[in-house]
Amino acid sequence: MTESLAPGTATPSPPGLRQLFTGMLMVALSAFGGGLSAWSQRIIVEQRHWMSNEEFLTGLTVARLFPGPNQINMAVYVGTFFRGLPGALAALAGMLLVPFTLLMGVGLLYFQFHTLPALDRVLAGVVAAAAGMALSMGFKILDQYWKDPMALLLAAVTFVLMTFFHVRLVPLVLVAGPLAMAWYWPRPSHPPVPQGERR
Amino acid sequence: MPAVLIAVASAATSCTPMRLNDLGHLLQVMGTFLGLSLFSLGGGNTLLTEYHHLSVEQYCWLRPSQFADIYALAEAAPGPSSMIVGLLGMGAGWPEGPGWALLTAYGAEIAILLPSTLLMVVACLSWNRLRDSPWRVAFERGLGPITLGILFAVGVKILKTADTNAAGVVVSLLVCALMLRTRISPLWFMAVAGGLGAFGLINR
Repeated sequence: MTESLAPGTATPSPPGLRQLFTGMLMVALSAFGGGLSAWSQRIIVEQRHWMSNEEFLTGLTVARLFPGPNQINMAVYVGTFFRGLPGALAALAGMLLVPFTLLMGVGLLYFQFHTLPALDRVLAGVVAAAAGMALSMGFKILDQYWKDPMALLLAAVTFVLMTFFHVRLVPLVLVAGPLAMAWYWPRPSHPPVPQGERR
Repeated sequence: MPAVLIAVASAATSCTPMRLNDLGHLLQVMGTFLGLSLFSLGGGNTLLTEYHHLSVEQYCWLRPSQFADIYALAEAAPGPSSMIVGLLGMGAGWPEGPGWALLTAYGAEIAILLPSTLLMVVACLSWNRLRDSPWRVAFERGLGPITLGILFAVGVKILKTADTNAAGVVVSLLVCALMLRTRISPLWFMAVAGGLGAFGLINR
């Protein structure tokens, strides 16, 4: 158990498919009030000692970098770490089983009853709050780009193209993505490099 | 034949829902989500404008107000908010009955998760080589600002789709500010705003 504190060493017996499933099930159940990523760290690193903290943090980095929902990518990372693709699927199933089943129940109720005037009135209010949450997503990550004029320009152009010219996401990313990557390609003399190596 | 002509004519004016009891259509829907999966940057929320386009404008699974409702439900429910795709699938299959709705929901969710999961598995297995690759650095630094722009576009899109009265817009802006300035659980904002809706202060 104490070995897991050293980076690069997992438990003597790494979790099997069933343990990966139940472990992620526990994470999902514990995180019902929110804080999924904190709960997965607590359960995977501190309680079950499956991974060292460094290994877990590497997982967060990979999960955020690659496409897909962050928490789901994190489950895939944990599963893959021990059991490859089957492990990833087991961890994913464990993470999604309860929340998705619950959401499906809520969805069936919604589509059955959403025409009721009382429910529609409540939802009108809830929707206003949810719109505020959606609006805050961009502001939340704005800080980290504040000192990079090129990043702000790219973001502004992306926003204008999507909002006012109704450019669709896929062509936009396929054109703007490679251009932005070329601009930020690491060069020894280029300023973005030291920032890119911060982590 | 006339039915086809009417369908085409009405498609030009407003959109006609796609019949999902045809397995081919279900597969087409799943194909759409499979193709979008790898574009879910920044944790998946970047796809919301695309979900709106598909479900409200292209396939007419949902009315705009339903899309706003479903977004709110997915945000309020525990678990990853990307599960909204399951609800979109449910809306698509609903006209065929609850059984088809559930089938379509599971199909849509699997479709949106499968490609990004497979890529993630490959990424994990080759991370030691990827970590110091210039491709990794350029991808991370280049796609970040684009994600930022998309998230602002998503915020504006959801706000427009919510389409509430002035009081509702004020609540939206207030919630946005509180999300940034405080660590209060968003469930509280939804509960309070839902109450304001029940009393008719917010309507649409």
